[in-house]
Amino acid sequence: MSDPSALTSEALAAIGKAQTEHDLERIEVEYLGRKSGRVSKLLEGIGKLGAEEKAALGKAVNDAKRAVEGALAGRRAELEASRLADLAETEAIDITFPGPALGRGHIHVLTQVRRQIETVLESLGYQVELGPEVETEWYNFEALNITAGHPARENWDSFYFSPELLLRAHTSPVQIRAMQRIKEPPIYVITPGRSYRRDAPEATRLPYFSQVEGLAVDKGLTVGDMKGTLLYMIQSLYGRDRKVRVRPSYFPFTEPSFEFDVTCGICGGMGCKSCRHKGWLEVGGCGMVHPQVLRNGGVDPTQWSGYAWGFGIERMAMLKHDVDDIRLFYESDLRFLEQF
Amino acid sequence: MRISYEWLGDFLDLDGVTPKAAAEVLTRLGIEVESLLIVDLSAIVIGKVLEQKPHPKSRNPLWIHQVDLGDHVQQIIAGAPNAVPGSLVPVALPGTTVPNGKIVKDMNIAGFKASGMLCSASELTLGEDHSGILILDRGTPGEPLTTVIPNQAIMEAEITSNRPDEMGHLGVARELAAGLDRPLKRDFMPAFTGTADPPGRDLVKVSIDDPDLCSRYIGGVIKSVRVGPSPDWMQRRLRACDVRPINNIVDITNYVLLEYAQPLHAFDLAKLNGPAIHVRRAREGEKLLCLDGEVRQLTPDMLVIADALRPVAIAGVIGGEETAVTGATVDILLESATFNGPSVRQTSRALGLRTEASARFERALPPELALAGARRAASLIAELAGGSVHREWADVYPRPQEPVRVNLRPALIDEVLGTHVPLEEAESILKRLNFHVKVMGDGEWDVLPPVFRLDVSIPEDLVEEVGRVYGYDRVPPTLPGRRRDRWTPAAPSMDRRLDAVREVLAGAGFTETWNPALVSGRKLEDLRIAAHAMRIENPLSDDMNTLRTSLLPSLLDAIALNRDRGEIVVSIYEIASVFLAKVGDRPTQPDEPLRLGVAFTVLQGSDTGRFGFYHAKTVLDACVASLAAPPPTYDRASTDLFHPGRCAAVVMDGKQLGYLGEVHPTVTAGARLDGRVVAFEIDVEAVLAASRVSRAQPLPRFPGVERDLAVVVEDTVAAGAILATVKESAGDLLEQARAFDEYRGAQVPEGHKSVAFTLTFRSPERTLTDAEVDRVMAEIKLGLEKRHSARFRE
Repeated sequence: MSDPSALTSEALAAIGKAQTEHDLERIEVEYLGRKSGRVSKLLEGIGKLGAEEKAALGKAVNDAKRAVEGALAGRRAELEASRLADLAETEAIDITFPGPALGRGHIHVLTQVRRQIETVLESLGYQVELGPEVETEWYNFEALNITAGHPARENWDSFYFSPELLLRAHTSPVQIRAMQRIKEPPIYVITPGRSYRRDAPEATRLPYFSQVEGLAVDKGLTVGDMKGTLLYMIQSLYGRDRKVRVRPSYFPFTEPSFEFDVTCGICGGMGCKSCRHKGWLEVGGCGMVHPQVLRNGGVDPTQWSGYAWGFGIERMAMLKHDVDDIRLFYESDLRFLEQF
Repeated sequence: MRISYEWLGDFLDLDGVTPKAAAEVLTRLGIEVESLLIVDLSAIVIGKVLEQKPHPKSRNPLWIHQVDLGDHVQQIIAGAPNAVPGSLVPVALPGTTVPNGKIVKDMNIAGFKASGMLCSASELTLGEDHSGILILDRGTPGEPLTTVIPNQAIMEAEITSNRPDEMGHLGVARELAAGLDRPLKRDFMPAFTGTADPPGRDLVKVSIDDPDLCSRYIGGVIKSVRVGPSPDWMQRRLRACDVRPINNIVDITNYVLLEYAQPLHAFDLAKLNGPAIHVRRAREGEKLLCLDGEVRQLTPDMLVIADALRPVAIAGVIGGEETAVTGATVDILLESATFNGPSVRQTSRALGLRTEASARFERALPPELALAGARRAASLIAELAGGSVHREWADVYPRPQEPVRVNLRPALIDEVLGTHVPLEEAESILKRLNFHVKVMGDGEWDVLPPVFRLDVSIPEDLVEEVGRVYGYDRVPPTLPGRRRDRWTPAAPSMDRRLDAVREVLAGAGFTETWNPALVSGRKLEDLRIAAHAMRIENPLSDDMNTLRTSLLPSLLDAIALNRDRGEIVVSIYEIASVFLAKVGDRPTQPDEPLRLGVAFTVLQGSDTGRFGFYHAKTVLDACVASLAAPPPTYDRASTDLFHPGRCAAVVMDGKQLGYLGEVHPTVTAGARLDGRVVAFEIDVEAVLAASRVSRAQPLPRFPGVERDLAVVVEDTVAAGAILATVKESAGDLLEQARAFDEYRGAQVPEGHKSVAFTLTFRSPERTLTDAEVDRVMAEIKLGLEKRHSARFRE
């Protein structure tokens, strides 16, 4: 039978020398193990002792146990502190090594731009309206005041399936369909979708493209309202420093009619190579809806007025992301699509 | 259209208005000036050729000129032979930059000094002509060229199709004058009339068959003209507008076309049989040798000008060679007519010939313009070719132009524009544009548009006139808004709903593509998916002649394109409509179902590629789940595009959504792909329709127990069938069962396979004991033994 204080000293010395958690665990078992630990063993034969001696031994053993436990905890804390202090060296890695590829897919840039346009106009209360891509002559032309033999028809050279049936040359037919469906203004809709014109493919135009048109029909709408809407849209998409100008033009379905331009993002309107020294970039067409077109949509032009506009989603994406060839959007080259 | 700034100066005072400022005003008014070419001639001087000798040594023919430059004589060498002694020519001295960008240097050509350059029209960018030195008709040697040719500014402008009146300089000048608020110096209708006897109408008989196709024909007789070159100033203006000078008579007709926008034609009167003019449809088999040297076959839907015997011109498009004005011509018939726009366009298209004349007639010219143009041309011919113009021309005018009146409630101007335009200003603008305005008792305006403005017919047209001259930049931008008592509640668009699918696919490594809907019909036939294809009657090319009936061929082409560019592993998709013709006698609008198509390459050697198929199912399940629609089931199926052993019909709520599977090897080979491609294509509208709002389920309160089960069955037993039996035999405590492995080999008998499942058991009321789970497992095994003769591996 050994002396509790001597045993304690021995244990504390061992703990003081321990260098690893493993050493400490071994020491813990050796001294504090429940059955065979050396501190517990001090109590062997306690039953033979008298009451007073019993109490004295019990206290001594408890003190020894606490002392060893305290020393173990202290040494553990020391070792952990020292490990943490050395982390910069022991666990340093080459932080310039690149991460592994994420392998994520990309959403098409035209989807992204279309989503931005829709989000901006939805914030003004416009709702998306869709319609068929194969249209009737009436919806694509007649209803929009582009009668047979109209000199403007050559701007909408179209693909035909029969004299009555064609691929829509713009999403304007959806405006007529929207007026017919909703019947009673106010009408605030946008009509995104694919359109087709018989133009040979080149860097700036394709026989297929995507448009977004907008239509507002309400009481007392003005050219000023149309300008404000376009300005809000353009500034929301391209930044608040952009300006919008409307230039008189001609479309059979609007009166008055305009083209709308945006200040060049590169020179800010001063004129540079990219805007061909104009300072302005052409974006789309717009105007006050022609009374006959309202009538064709079933809306009374003496009660209501409206404005409409349209532009190509590709054009917007080209302006926003400096894309110089419209064909890239439909070529499905991943090296292009993965840039967005 | 090309607009000469110098020419505009004939009609209004341009003092203090630079070409650039004029271009800006025109653009604001609706004549979009796309480019402005400034020709600065200030550095060029006038020289007089004293002597011209051939270069004795040069291999190419060259001419050595001695040129008088006022204070000295300079030796200049040129390749063109037309600067004969006595000619006045433009000279660029060494150090000068010529308008076309060339820098002139002192040179020595095969032993002879060359100090300067004699310039052609093209080098001075005064026109296309580079065949010879530009010869001047006046000027003093040594003086700047600008003393005889002012600096030029040419605007390239786009004229909208409703404004044929702006296809002449006078019309453009009228707009500019209105925009600048300066007076226009020229009236629309010239006062000139002929005086020679007898009346012209007695000299030539004019008749029109169909007044719908020709509403007016004026034939003016001018006798004893002297045909020769037209004056320099006229030639220069024609060249500036890209028109080649020919002789004074032809040049005058072209000049008036560019000035008034009225096309004209001059016939050699002696060559006209009759002499008579008969405006009629061409007869079957008739031909015409045209001014450009081509013989054109005519058809009865073309309108021609014929004499007593034969066609002599194609109405509104081009004249005939045999009756053209030549150096030998003495008497002419000047034609100024109004032809039907659509008819001229149709003829011009059928012939594949678009001319300055047809471009104007196509847009529907007012008949009143014909008289103005004829008078202007006749006065120029009298002045420049010395002709005697006969009085009282033949003027057949079966459809006189009806005057249009428009009633305008002036308040409409402010109502449409959204700003206040003072009434006096609005009225002044209309008057500047030659509209007559009469204010009536009730305050309304009775407005009479000028005869050359057929595009104005409703009050809104007048608002536009006021607005564009007033200036749209003066209209403040506003947003519409007022108290509304009606609205449509917001609803997410189809595309925004489908963004959930895009997110899933992006996370799974799929990139979205947009592919053309126009494809090769031949290709669809080869793939046997052309049964409902819509074919275009007037395609641009054979590879874009049909609307696609499936997204898969486009996706395969995209994979092939990326493979060709070095990308081996490709995972892509597209969301777009396909087009399926409805069965019927005559074409109607097709069905346009919106589809989701997904395709990806499967790496070689990965277990005969079957995991590609299972991956596709996982992806599709996740897409469907993202829309909160019920999970689809997969039934073995067979269809042309897919591998016969690896194809499933995708079914939801008893409705088939599409197919999923490995693409048939012949189809991949047809797309020039080797290796396996797995794909699916489904109707997304059906999935969206089945979409429900996700409801929260309570989280389990008691732990689940997982057990694995390896089932050995004959090869032919499908995992789906085993799973069905498992679920059926297990009862309520089975929460989930999932197959995770399939094994064939040494440890299972020949002709058998082992399918491993993970089963999860759970009770909502208590923690399950091992004994309870063992009992259920025993039931499952019993069921599998009975139905599939299954054995079990430990």
